[in-house]
Amino acid sequence: MVIDFPFLWESFTTLLNGVPLTLQLTALSVVTGAVLAVLLALMRVSNRWWLDLPAQAYIFVFRGTPLLVQIYIIYYGLSQFPELRHSILWPFLRQAYWCAALALALNTAAYSAEIIRGGLLSVPAGQIEAARATGMSGFLLMRRIIFPQALRQMLPGYSNEIILMVKSTALASTVTLMEVTGIAAKLISQSYRPIEVFICAGAIYLAINFIVVRAFAALEYALSPERRPAPASTADQPEKARA
Amino acid sequence: MDYLQLMGFGPNGWGYGMLAATGMTVAVALCGYLIGSVLGSLGAAAAFSRFMPLRAIAGFYTTVLRGIPDLLVIYLFYFGSSSVISAVGALFGAEGFVGAPAFLTGAMAIGVVSGAYQMQVFRGAVLALPKGEIEAARAYGMPSFLLFRRIILPQAARFAIPGMGNVWQLVLKESALISVIGLVEIMRQSQIGAGSTRQPFSFYLTAGALYLLITFVSGRGFRLAERRAMRGVRRAA
Amino acid sequence: MPDPAKTPAVQLSNIRKSYGEHEVLHGVSLTANEGDVISILGSSGSGKSTLLRCINMLEVPNAGSVSIHGEAITLDQKPGQPPRARDMRQVNRLRAKAAMVFQSFNLWSHLTILENLIEAPVYVLKRDRKEAIAEAEALLARVGIAEKRHAYPAHLSGGQQQRAAIARALAMHPSVMLFDEPTSALDPELVGEVLKVMRDLAAEGRTMLIVTHEMGFARDVSTRTVFLHNGVIEEEGAPAEVFENPRSDRFRQFISRDH
Repeated sequence: MVIDFPFLWESFTTLLNGVPLTLQLTALSVVTGAVLAVLLALMRVSNRWWLDLPAQAYIFVFRGTPLLVQIYIIYYGLSQFPELRHSILWPFLRQAYWCAALALALNTAAYSAEIIRGGLLSVPAGQIEAARATGMSGFLLMRRIIFPQALRQMLPGYSNEIILMVKSTALASTVTLMEVTGIAAKLISQSYRPIEVFICAGAIYLAINFIVVRAFAALEYALSPERRPAPASTADQPEKARA
Repeated sequence: MDYLQLMGFGPNGWGYGMLAATGMTVAVALCGYLIGSVLGSLGAAAAFSRFMPLRAIAGFYTTVLRGIPDLLVIYLFYFGSSSVISAVGALFGAEGFVGAPAFLTGAMAIGVVSGAYQMQVFRGAVLALPKGEIEAARAYGMPSFLLFRRIILPQAARFAIPGMGNVWQLVLKESALISVIGLVEIMRQSQIGAGSTRQPFSFYLTAGALYLLITFVSGRGFRLAERRAMRGVRRAA
Repeated sequence: MPDPAKTPAVQLSNIRKSYGEHEVLHGVSLTANEGDVISILGSSGSGKSTLLRCINMLEVPNAGSVSIHGEAITLDQKPGQPPRARDMRQVNRLRAKAAMVFQSFNLWSHLTILENLIEAPVYVLKRDRKEAIAEAEALLARVGIAEKRHAYPAHLSGGQQQRAAIARALAMHPSVMLFDEPTSALDPELVGEVLKVMRDLAAEGRTMLIVTHEMGFARDVSTRTVFLHNGVIEEEGAPAEVFENPRSDRFRQFISRDH
């Protein structure tokens, strides 16, 4: 098989047109999903069964079914109800864009909630005890002691989840959205040249994911001063806290 | 028509269709999973190879396949093999596009993707092996193959079970994507039903419930296998 | 055919071993005759464990030769290449004769204690399974853990695990036993039970090479003591002699330290 380079370049530039939509869907669903995920994770660690149980059920259902089912239920399924078709939500739920973003957000919330819960539970009990002993409690304890440590602990898992989300946005093409994979499918069915199109689209996804991985590695480094080599002396460290 | 009639086994019910489609989902997922196990173990073996090019190929395989959408891989396999088949068909005078068999291409696509994940699971399991126990086996005169069969394999299998369970769940859910190339599994059957009855919610909800059932039951199965395999490992007090 | 009574059980000649640029053994020779109990002493980094591991080729020496019962292990020791044993079948055959007991026990964690004992006899020596089981049970009774035969290693204390590991070694009918710091990973109160088993083995006239930190044991039980320092033998002789009148200052310092 000979690779046709002009066609390769043409495919690449065409596929780049899908990148903004891919990124938008990722960003929108990751941000919304994160808010819901924090809520779910707090419900899971609340030690109150009437909060824990619904969160568990939510996570079980969204992790146990394919994302494609979730997208189809929202985009195609909801139109079965006339009540909904006449509600104020309909202008949103009618559009593939909002349906895909909603499904992606609900889906990632379930996975992220478990990552966040893992991070929260990883904070050593002794440190929490020590904070309580100094009189911290409730929100202050969460904000000053638990959350900063949990955040660092869950970064690797969360970076994986974002990569999964970048890949998952491809499913938006099944509900007519023309993001990278949607354009790729169209190009393939027009040209019957799957290999060239696949190489271009694959390279685009790998590039996006590479950037995500590097960004998270940098963030983890920035948030982990104690894992870096200790400074030679304290004298050359300016008082950052007051600056 | 109410829901129970719709999904029932009566003359107008879709029960049998959905049941057969469930069987198809399990079959294609299982085939893809097994193909993935073969590719994953080959990949893991290559990753531990002394031969640098083999290690590089294995690294490339797992990085690329875990970094791109599964749907893209399914399209590549379907259109790729279809264009090969069409080209062969043209030699014999057939005209136009000939579609590749959806089951085969779907299972292959899932296999190649899950192989990349299974490779990581196997690699992790081998890295988790206690070095001292392998050394002890060597010190007792075990030749490499015996050592692999009696000491490495049973222990690595044990460490691999949880990860293998995760990959199986992934494969089951991934199999829904094969509906885009026309294989009549749960998702495609639901699309057909939704189209002809105009009750998409009922069908997709049923599809979701069926997936949930399969993932739940197989999750239980893996947990049981894990408990059996973890005999002899100290439980956290 | 050499006379088996006169052939040394283990003969190491001029062993050199390096890791990269760093040489840890600078030409060590050591002979163990039938019935010898040799304790190998030395501070950490002296190369004593490496020396023991050269006997069964867990480490392959860069230079020098190893013979077990007069049979020399054929080695490829070309300069610029990592040394290796030429014939792994020969190595495996000899390894089965020189059973090793490890510092960290290294019982196979997926097998019960009884299964650990019969694993190598059945699969390496191809002995009859029933006979191997009967013998294994007798050995477990002998080291005092008969009731643990169906337990997994993780459910035993360190002392029990090490006794099981010694029984595993005995199940091979070894002609030499190699002990690599067998009590160093144990809590102090568990050391005694393992040393007792080893004392009994020495009293039986078994050939043993023991890398250890237990001074009292080395003094009372061994027929010969070897003190290794920086990869060479600094002191060697009967324990009564060397502990009373050390010739080397380093060994004098070593034994006067509180161990």
